[in-house]
Amino acid sequence: MYGGGNTFEGVKTDSVATEDPVLLAEFEARIARGEKIEPSDWMPQLYRKQLIRMIEQHAHSEIIGALPEGTWITRAPGFKRKMALMAKVQDEVGHGQLLYSAAETLGKSREQMIDDLISGKSKYSNIFNYPTFTWADCCFISWLVDAGAIVNQLANAKGSYGPYCRALERICAEESFHLKYGHHCVIYLAAGTQKQRQLFQEALNRWWPPMMHFFGPSDKISTHTEVLMRWKVKMGTNDEMRNQFLDMYVPKIWELGFTIPDPKLKKNTGTGLWEYTEPDWEEFKRVINGGGPCNQERLEVRRIAEERGKWVREALKSAKTTYVTPLA
Amino acid sequence: MNSLDPRVSRLPEIGKPGVILPKIPLDQFASFEVFVQPREGKPFQHEGIVHAPNIDMAYIFAKENFTRRFTCTSLYVAETRNVYVSSTTDGERNAYDLVADVSTSGVNDEYEIFHLVKRGKQHIAVGTVMAGSPEEAMSTARKMFNTKLVYNIWAVKRSNIRLTTPEELDLWTTLPEKRFRDAGDYKGGDKLKDFLDKQKLTS
Ligand SMILES: [Fe+2]
Ligand SMILES: [Fe+2]
Ligand SMILES: [Fe+2]
Repeated sequence: MYGGGNTFEGVKTDSVATEDPVLLAEFEARIARGEKIEPSDWMPQLYRKQLIRMIEQHAHSEIIGALPEGTWITRAPGFKRKMALMAKVQDEVGHGQLLYSAAETLGKSREQMIDDLISGKSKYSNIFNYPTFTWADCCFISWLVDAGAIVNQLANAKGSYGPYCRALERICAEESFHLKYGHHCVIYLAAGTQKQRQLFQEALNRWWPPMMHFFGPSDKISTHTEVLMRWKVKMGTNDEMRNQFLDMYVPKIWELGFTIPDPKLKKNTGTGLWEYTEPDWEEFKRVINGGGPCNQERLEVRRIAEERGKWVREALKSAKTTYVTPLA
Repeated sequence: MNSLDPRVSRLPEIGKPGVILPKIPLDQFASFEVFVQPREGKPFQHEGIVHAPNIDMAYIFAKENFTRRFTCTSLYVAETRNVYVSSTTDGERNAYDLVADVSTSGVNDEYEIFHLVKRGKQHIAVGTVMAGSPEEAMSTARKMFNTKLVYNIWAVKRSNIRLTTPEELDLWTTLPEKRFRDAGDYKGGDKLKDFLDKQKLTS
């Protein structure tokens, strides 16, 4: 057949009860062997649905995440920082492109995803609903929010869906620049004047609670993810990811002489796990449901951009070509 | 809108929050598959997709999205509709075993053939066959390239591919002053060490 065959009929089910048990067993055996699932393979509806949701949210996070940093390009200190930040923001938008493509291979069109973002039906990373007041907030994102994203992305790159893994491999390679650049920015603030140090300390105070929320609700309250773990859609629990992040970055923040605004934060040498004040999950829910300081602005910026670009797309639309589901 | 970003505050008012104004359906353009030659002498491999209104714009988007950082020696794109795909197999089953025999038509159109040799990896170009249809191209490819287990085969008529022209090859000559885009340009180590040494002295 020619490319563009598989279409997505919308998934209503939340269980695998209606799936063909033979096909399901083959599918699970393939994942257990460490093989990847490709778009043309049979897959349970629930797998398709969860992957679309996850990859789509990831794509939206890249696009929306470009906004709080993008806002600082013109005000970044010096020409070199401006150039670097511009390159980073361009990368993030490029990541969005790669991820939308990966989600499209599962049968949901890019246009539908963008519409669902604008209407508020789809979510994106909650942390981007907070504002970047100062240059230091922007540096916090470049270094630590990206660090958090990398922890998730490296884990997900070992997942079972081929197109998502391939997109993540490219993304992770670019993230190494983001991380180095972000750390470089923060080192310069830390080694700078008293005022510069204070600027970053204040940003850290503002961003720490949303950073703790970043990995999602605690395992104690989040709905169980057993089947998603078995299918290698989810590669670790929220708490595992959070712990990995703390393990890698808390020492680096302390090294620079900053104070993390959580008196309970310490590593339990016995268990090897970090202890911390339980994040405020009510606040998390409130913000994710639209109550954060920037939710409306973020979506409005996207919506207005989409409306303003519409005449260009309509002018370029040609009857000679047409949208089809991409191959891989 | 009242934003910390003056450019956002200046945005014109259009429609209402959360409401998508009526539009032509599927205005996100056609789908194109992107293939990249990572190094001189290496075969082209599939890298991903772009959407564009025509093949020349698809080529430009592909260049931006896939070779902005990972430079390559060449790039080409083909519309997804023009990629002919075999069945996908797994385990010990060879996708070529499912390719039907087609008798030779005598037509000599060139087709590029791609193999998926490992699930989870990219499709890689293996060579060109002459055929009168994609089915015939697959059948001919089975005779010419069926040397090891493959899980999926693609055939694309060469006249449907937008190739890189010789004049475009310098697209990937990276300018030395663009080093700020590389992780290697951010060595914070010395600054950090100085800072830590000073901290030790003052405490
Ligand atoms: Fe990113
Ligand atoms: Fe980021
Ligand atoms: Fe990033």
